[in-house]
Amino acid sequence: MTAFERLLAGEVSALARAISLLEAGGDASDALAARLRGHTGNARVIGFTGPPGAGKSTLISAYVAALRARGERIAVLAVDPSSPLSGGAVLGDRTRMGEHSTDQGVFIRSVAARGHLGGLALSIPAILDAVDAAGWPTIILETVGAGQSETEIVEFADVKVVLNAPGLGDDIQAIKAGILEIADVLVVNKSDLPLAERTVRQLQAMLALRSAGSQDVPVVMTSATRLDGLDDLEQAVDNRFGLSADLDAERRRGRRLRGLLRRRAEAAIRDRLVAIAPDRMDAICERVHSNAVSIDGAALELAALALDGNEVAGALLDEP
Amino acid sequence: MTHARIVPLNRDEDQPSLPGFEDAEDRWRQDYDRQIGTERRIVNRSGIEIDPIYTPENWSSDRYMADLGFPGQAPYTRGIYPTMHRGRTWSQRQLIGLGTPGDYNERVRKIVDHGATAISLIPCNSGFRGIDCDEVPLPLLGTCGTVVNTVDHMDQALDGIPIGDISTAMNDPTPFTLLAFVLGVAKRRGIPFERITGTSNQSDYISHFVANHMFYRLSQPGSRRVLVDHVAYCREHVPNWNPVSVVGQHMQQAGATPAETMGLTLSTAIQYAEDCMARGMDPDAILPRFTFFFDISISFFEEIAKFRAGRRIWARIAKDRLGARNPRSWRFKFHGQTSGVDLTAQQPLNNIARVAVQAAAGIFSGLQSMHTDAYDEAITSPTEGPARIAVATQNILREEAHLCDVIDPMGGSYYVETLTNQMEEEILQVMDRIEAAGGMYEAVGSGTVQTMIGQSALAAQEKVEAGDEKVVGVNCYQDDDGVEQPEPYRPDRQAMEAHVKAFKAFKADRSQATVDKAIAGLREAAQDESANTFEKVVDAAAVGVTHGEIIGTLREELGFGHPLIIA
Amino acid sequence: MSEQPIRVLVTKIGLDGHDRGSRVVAAYLRDAGMEVIYTPPWQQIEEVVALALQEDVDVIGVSSLATDHLIVPDLVEALRTADLGHVGVIVGGIVPDMEHPSLLTAGVARIFGPGASRDDIVDCVSDLGARVRGEKLAEGDFSQ
Repeated sequence: MTAFERLLAGEVSALARAISLLEAGGDASDALAARLRGHTGNARVIGFTGPPGAGKSTLISAYVAALRARGERIAVLAVDPSSPLSGGAVLGDRTRMGEHSTDQGVFIRSVAARGHLGGLALSIPAILDAVDAAGWPTIILETVGAGQSETEIVEFADVKVVLNAPGLGDDIQAIKAGILEIADVLVVNKSDLPLAERTVRQLQAMLALRSAGSQDVPVVMTSATRLDGLDDLEQAVDNRFGLSADLDAERRRGRRLRGLLRRRAEAAIRDRLVAIAPDRMDAICERVHSNAVSIDGAALELAALALDGNEVAGALLDEP
Repeated sequence: MTHARIVPLNRDEDQPSLPGFEDAEDRWRQDYDRQIGTERRIVNRSGIEIDPIYTPENWSSDRYMADLGFPGQAPYTRGIYPTMHRGRTWSQRQLIGLGTPGDYNERVRKIVDHGATAISLIPCNSGFRGIDCDEVPLPLLGTCGTVVNTVDHMDQALDGIPIGDISTAMNDPTPFTLLAFVLGVAKRRGIPFERITGTSNQSDYISHFVANHMFYRLSQPGSRRVLVDHVAYCREHVPNWNPVSVVGQHMQQAGATPAETMGLTLSTAIQYAEDCMARGMDPDAILPRFTFFFDISISFFEEIAKFRAGRRIWARIAKDRLGARNPRSWRFKFHGQTSGVDLTAQQPLNNIARVAVQAAAGIFSGLQSMHTDAYDEAITSPTEGPARIAVATQNILREEAHLCDVIDPMGGSYYVETLTNQMEEEILQVMDRIEAAGGMYEAVGSGTVQTMIGQSALAAQEKVEAGDEKVVGVNCYQDDDGVEQPEPYRPDRQAMEAHVKAFKAFKADRSQATVDKAIAGLREAAQDESANTFEKVVDAAAVGVTHGEIIGTLREELGFGHPLIIA
Repeated sequence: MSEQPIRVLVTKIGLDGHDRGSRVVAAYLRDAGMEVIYTPPWQQIEEVVALALQEDVDVIGVSSLATDHLIVPDLVEALRTADLGHVGVIVGGIVPDMEHPSLLTAGVARIFGPGASRDDIVDCVSDLGARVRGEKLAEGDFSQ
């Protein structure tokens, strides 16, 4: 069997190697990603995100145990930031999922963000496809919900679970990062703590302020360490999959591809923006100062400039 | 809540200057600056800058009563008792743990014959892990501690040792099965529990969640419950046993600076006291039996200052914060162990000198009990010859160097008093941070402490790598030609195999009904918040339930200990 | 984008719990641009193998005190059985000199004692990782 066939057959080492290749990017990686797209759409992707200290990994471990108890096979992608200075990372999320280490029905992979411009969004869709193609029916995508790029990543999930925990210093941290907006299920973990009820009420209040549809977002209380509330979480996630027509296989494939294209396009524009010659930039700024063009107008001009191949090529030649 | 500060460091402006002082000082400063060459900035392990000289400008005896007082009286800086080592010297309590119970017994008898006045038992790492010897690959058994899984094993280990007269320390975390085994032995020998003295040396579960990772027993909340049960049980049934030993050793070994270590340890002591008080216990009923366990590093003066400051702070906390009225509750009783982290595998005989210096610092710090490391500690569990030298070291310091003739001989030193005050300031800052994080239990749960220590550890390592912190034989004065490494200790394989075999036979021969009943009782107690789990541990141990079975049961009910944070 | 970070597993097997050294080494490797999968102490050999497989690691660094190193050959054997024989294995900590040869014979690439420098360790893992990477590429890819 070729490596690709072994991946489709569910061999762990083939999947592991494939993920490494997809993380690396480049031509071989893109070729593999393209091939994989024909074999996907079966996996349900559940995103878990939330601030550090909310107990994500412990909760995911308990949730995995619950799913295993009903006979499901689960893959977990644990995403962590890389050091902006060195590009390296210490990946320790899976240490809290140690009870599943030797279970053949669970696949856990630690993924570092690697400091790509725009975050991990460029390789995550391909990695999801690989795990999907390898036959894992449920994929949990775990990210730290601390910033913009992590929010982007979790958008690739079909159902997005956003975690909070009481007393993390800033109860509305989730809102600041814009994550609350995308949540399908809200969880308040560490329900045994005294402020848990208050956190639930605050979230419910914020949901009420959201635009229509927020009433469908359940707020679930869990205690990962006491294994409380897991049934409720299971139910809430299952309901979400049941409710939405958006979540059938065909649509899921489509969403993932659209998301990927959008991110790739953003990255392409970002790269080109950086390459614009300083004097061209200065000229535009001058026109803003003299009120010849509005800020929005100028931004569109800049974008057009970025996409104009000649402009970029010329700028690059000018570089010392 | 911030902690009360000591009298400000700056000298009282109203004090008259000593005649000629200013001129002499100026002259010295000029001569010093001319001759010193490149002045380098010296900073101790806790980050405090060290000056070339200390004078009454830094500290003077007009502060004697405020800062020092007399031994056995507030502020207790000079010592917790009026007589200190001039009256009764520290307990020579060497930690021993190796091989089978028979091996332990052989070693401990020799140590007692050579003058040790108290003994200690370290269980095998498998024991720390909470499992029995029949669940572990044979080569890993008995290399760092003794394999004790039942009352019978403890009986063998303590054969011929008068446990009603001699103090025994059990290095055992929650749920303290080793003490349960000792009590089982006492019952067999007809010794009333009131005569059993010693300490639960690893009762500080919080320090395990931070460093050293003995937590793979019970969860953090589970450990919290069992510790308080343990204190309650001992108060009633084993009144001369110290059920709480708050351990600074693990954190300092994991990289916390001496000041951080003292601050974190005192914060932990506050946590335990308050947990017991929340259960209705009176501070004066429990604090006299609180003890501490620290490493003594080779940063000689810093350690002395650390302990003197710690002793002073604890007295204030016990009285003002915890509300204890009995002076016995204000005493900072501690066991010091010379720090293994300062010992090197390179040129191991140098460690004898290191241990002597560390031990001297311990004596000047006013400790109540001490263990000195053997010189081969960096390579292996101590072997006999090196272990004997470690004990002799203490004897030499006492008998030949006469370090015990004067109480707190460092007292009044301009340097040591200034440093003590500075260390107190650093320690209190750490304690304030822990307060702000909600107390030690919360701070460890959230990872605050682990992060602090990790940063200090990295910083310390970088100093050694850069050559700023010198270690003889490692980054300076290296000389590995022909230096033979001491042979590592390995338990006799056949003896260990026989031990495991006998253990399996023991389990097969037991009355399973009795065992099941005891385990059921333990399980019930765990499920009932108002029951005392340790009482059931003692009962179960007495009827032959094993260490692993007891812990396994409690893990099921109270939760398995999991790592709280990583690098 | 062909400069992939080397993936290293830093772990402890056996019974010892002291992990100050492994935390410091994990930080060194991260600062050198590597991806470190870090486990707490007391891992079983089967767990390490499963992890190495799923994470496609290049090098495994085992931190060892006491006699834990005595079961490292069992780990190497288990890796081979799982078709992970190409993964580099190094040991750091306290290993008595006389027990070095048996480890090296069993397949351990290098043993680091307490005096090892940061650069030494980082360079070794780097070189070992690059070699393992090269072997993986040669083995086979997804182009068919």
